[in-house]
Amino acid sequence: MAVLREGVVLGAWLLLIAIGVSACGDGDRQRGASSFELRPILLPNLSVAAKTVQVQVHDRHAALTATLENNASTDVARGEAYGELGKLLLGGEYFDSAENCFLNAKALMPSELRWPYYLGHVYRKKGNAAKSAEEFEQVLRLNPDHEATLYWLAEMYLTLGRTESAEALFSKSLTLGLRSPAALYGMGRIALSRKNYQEAVKLFEEALSLDPPASVLHYPLATAYRGLGLIQQAEEHLRRRGDVNVTTPDPLMQEVNGLLETALAYEERGLRSFETGQWAEAAAYFRKGVELEPENPSVRHKLGTALALMGDNGGAEEQFQIVVRQSPTFAKAHYSLGLLMESSGRRQRAIEEFSLAVRHDSNYVDAHMRLAELLLYTGQARPALAQYERAIGIDPRQPRPRYGYAMALVRLGRYREARDWLNDAIRLHPDQPGFVHALARVLVAAPDDAVRDGPRAMTMVQELLRGPQTLELGETMAMTLAELGQYGDAVALQRKVLSAAMQEGRQDLVATLTTNLQRYERQQPCRVPWIIEPEFLSSEPS
Amino acid sequence: MKRAAIFLAAVLAMNCADDREARSSTSSAGATSLGAGEWFVDKAQATGLDFVHFNGMTGEFYYPENMPPGVGLLDYDNDGDLDVYFVQGQLLDSGKTFADALIKPQGPMPPRDRLFRNDLTVAPDGTRTLTFTDVTSQSRIPGIGYGMGVATGDFNNDGWIDLYVTRFGPNQLLKNNGDGTFSDVSKQSRTDDPSWSVSAAFVDFDRDGWLDLHVGNYLNYGLKMDQKCTSLSGSRDYCPPRIYTAQPSRIFRNLGDGTFVDATGTSQMAGQYGPALGITTADFDNDGWIDVYVANDGHENQLWMNQRNGTFKNTALVAGAGLTAEGKAEASMGVDAGDFDNDGDEDLFITELIGEGHNLFVNDGTGNFEDQGTRSGLGPGSLPYTGFGTSWIDFDNDGWLDILTVNGSITNIEALERVKDPFPRHQRKQLFRNLRNGRFEVVTDQAGAVFQLSEVGRGAAFGDIDNDGDMDVVVGNDSGPARLLINEIGNRQHWIGLRLVGGARTGSGGSLDSPGRDMLGARVEILRKDGSIRMRRARSDGSYASANDPRVLVGLGDSTEVPRVRVRWPNGTTEEWAQVPIDRWTTLREGEPSAGARREAAEQRAGAEPREQ
Repeated sequence: MAVLREGVVLGAWLLLIAIGVSACGDGDRQRGASSFELRPILLPNLSVAAKTVQVQVHDRHAALTATLENNASTDVARGEAYGELGKLLLGGEYFDSAENCFLNAKALMPSELRWPYYLGHVYRKKGNAAKSAEEFEQVLRLNPDHEATLYWLAEMYLTLGRTESAEALFSKSLTLGLRSPAALYGMGRIALSRKNYQEAVKLFEEALSLDPPASVLHYPLATAYRGLGLIQQAEEHLRRRGDVNVTTPDPLMQEVNGLLETALAYEERGLRSFETGQWAEAAAYFRKGVELEPENPSVRHKLGTALALMGDNGGAEEQFQIVVRQSPTFAKAHYSLGLLMESSGRRQRAIEEFSLAVRHDSNYVDAHMRLAELLLYTGQARPALAQYERAIGIDPRQPRPRYGYAMALVRLGRYREARDWLNDAIRLHPDQPGFVHALARVLVAAPDDAVRDGPRAMTMVQELLRGPQTLELGETMAMTLAELGQYGDAVALQRKVLSAAMQEGRQDLVATLTTNLQRYERQQPCRVPWIIEPEFLSSEPS
Repeated sequence: MKRAAIFLAAVLAMNCADDREARSSTSSAGATSLGAGEWFVDKAQATGLDFVHFNGMTGEFYYPENMPPGVGLLDYDNDGDLDVYFVQGQLLDSGKTFADALIKPQGPMPPRDRLFRNDLTVAPDGTRTLTFTDVTSQSRIPGIGYGMGVATGDFNNDGWIDLYVTRFGPNQLLKNNGDGTFSDVSKQSRTDDPSWSVSAAFVDFDRDGWLDLHVGNYLNYGLKMDQKCTSLSGSRDYCPPRIYTAQPSRIFRNLGDGTFVDATGTSQMAGQYGPALGITTADFDNDGWIDVYVANDGHENQLWMNQRNGTFKNTALVAGAGLTAEGKAEASMGVDAGDFDNDGDEDLFITELIGEGHNLFVNDGTGNFEDQGTRSGLGPGSLPYTGFGTSWIDFDNDGWLDILTVNGSITNIEALERVKDPFPRHQRKQLFRNLRNGRFEVVTDQAGAVFQLSEVGRGAAFGDIDNDGDMDVVVGNDSGPARLLINEIGNRQHWIGLRLVGGARTGSGGSLDSPGRDMLGARVEILRKDGSIRMRRARSDGSYASANDPRVLVGLGDSTEVPRVRVRWPNGTTEEWAQVPIDRWTTLREGEPSAGARREAAEQRAGAEPREQ
């Protein structure tokens, strides 16, 4: 009954604000200290917002109303009350309502920089760069060294095409003390727009050295390298590009971003912690989000992921299980469960989870891959082929599924197809020596006489030996020597490889090497190209 | 560490437009020199183009509701004027009825795609009367399903333009039977892609004379997978695209026998994709082979450069056209390619979200681009808007391509939500005028009352609908009435209009058994005595989920000079016409330049207006 009464009261209050009547309505239309006519606060339609947000806004609005109704309250007190409500509304992306709050706060507290600062952000988010710049300019009049404002005003100038004005502010930032990656990023973009590629490279490289996680820097850096004609460097940075922004110290906006009590707000906070590798902090945020919305699969999945990264696999599994119970089609949770099952040796369960992941998201390449590898390892080569095929169909650039497909063909004894497949793979992925290596093994160890080609394999292995020399390559060379009838050389090499494997603790190789050594000693060639192990499959082909 | 990386990868896999600023800061008094009166007038109602889109929303926030509709312009009856195809939505939830719809369907029931025939008449005194007739029933177009967009092209070279309709659900290839009816040949042609597709484009990428088909797919989404998303404040809203995985786009190679083969893998286009919303085709490096640009939602865009051997290579990142200059992927929606700076190559314009600003990637002629969104003024001028349909459109026929965008937010706009607007995301359209110096000015306020209408704009198709020598626009609004923006000022200047036709087949008796088809991808150069060149391209793609007039209209300003016209056909051959009349539409046929010139000369001697070259 108490709940019902509370609901009725809240509902009535919401009705009032939904029709745009503010509790401080007429009372706001008074003149403040600066003779600015205060604006009425039209609250947004909160009836569809989360209950927590309704309460938060209600509380701050009530505080504002009480302050305004108190004849003894000062302009500062009233300004603060407007500003506090504005901050909450800004956090909730109610930009129109926030704008009026901050305008009133600014009028009542003209020497306070927070209000024009927040107004600058309100206009920025509404796409009004000119008004945003005006507000940020006002902040700088109050505090010319305000670091965050120097950055944001410069950004607004860049948006408006006022490059020289932006440059002056970024330069000032850099003279204020520590080298700011954000200012270097800005200066770099200006240099880039002027086609001063050398300078741009210098600035972006410095920013990157100061803020290595800021992967967004790689793209403009690549553009600058491209401008210098250094395509290789450009491509290297393109490969490393991402969307992690340059760090900008901004305590005022950080405060706003921490205000809202909704699942999505906590999820976003958690993701920010995630970006910097703070798993525990991220987990705490995600947990708050889960508390607010227990049936939100996205935030709960992220909580599970953060827990797994912290090493709490039990906790992670519990969260993932809840997700798939509540949202059975949430593919990512099935995939994550599959990973946990696989890591704890529950292979059949892992196969089931990966299968569900690809059933609910047929384009989930990673899930197809993990499923294929697990199927192959558990002796189900035929269904593994289908999964590899699907992964290749989705993303033919990836060498790994193509390699796995070849292994599955070998497992099925389809050596001719494996040979042809690997020949194609070498053509498609000329930068992947692993395919050459795999083909060489098929050519020397396939039981099918029509497939083996020892001389060609020898040419290929000799070519591979110009690159990094691995135990596996030594093993292949020994196989090749044996196939060519050079058993003495094969035995000598195999012994060296076996010795090295034992020294390196490579127990995964020792048994096979020993078996094959015995074959060569008996002057018999190898007829088993691979003993397929999960570690082998999950490694890159090269 | 490896496990950490896998989990991280798994996770990562996981307003009111205040246009006062834009108006006041970038409008120019100079634009008023175009003359008195409205530049564009909405004549949808007056001409009978009566279509109201229904998105089927019932409060469940099913993702597709927020995305349509596209519009198609096509001359399906070969009578010389453009007809209009609208895609329609449906109720998505089988458990709901029309009574549950938040905005009720209007017009003929049940809601279905509609085809309107253009019955334009021109009186002897030149007076034009534009009317449309709904011929959906006669056309036998099934038109059922949740429509997203339209692509047009004559895939079987029979001289009758065909339709490809993208849907949330299997797409449809509708073959024009040449008698006013269409047949659904989706299955037998093997183009019934079941993915959620939005934009598509017909393009002869292998230069074999048959139009292939590029289909842009969006997200891996189904009602059973629907997730309940909220805004930051916790109110229900449509999900952002990152919640779902992208669907790979497809390219279908036309085998010339009425069927297509999925060439996505063999063309090497399969591996890189994002949530595709816009597609435009153009020859970006001017090598004579058509390339493809795909605009993705919140993901880097792709620039597929034709390798001339049936394969493509995505060079977007290294070419500077995949991300903004800052290195950010934006929510690209509509896209168009055009030579806005008249330097002989095609540049890219892309519409984006509120706060992002539209992008302009300027081509250096080799297929490398520079982001000049800010410098051009297009970025700052569009910041308060979310743009969808767009085109390079020389609305004033001054010879310089301008920009028109139709807009509509994808999230609720606070002020509209406050007044309980049932679909609170409408915005005004925008018009940007090319200042001929690499910059643009916003001229929306001068463009006419229709530009003051706030609507949830999505698709837009561009073409000369009344054949009077300037570009008109049909706009598709989500949950709203279609608009027909008739251009009232373009033909105050001179112009040249060209239909580029090729691929005609001659029967045994020497008569044509096919009139030929529009040669999409043909490059046109208008050569003038002062040495200046205007380059344009025949295309029906571009914009958002829409199909444009395949003809080429080039503004000539106040020049009355009869220019030479050079055409590079999609097969690589180049032909030239010495004199092509201005201020009228002319058909140029592949392989008949000299014959055309002779005929023209004879017709001029006889005082007749040349019609076909």
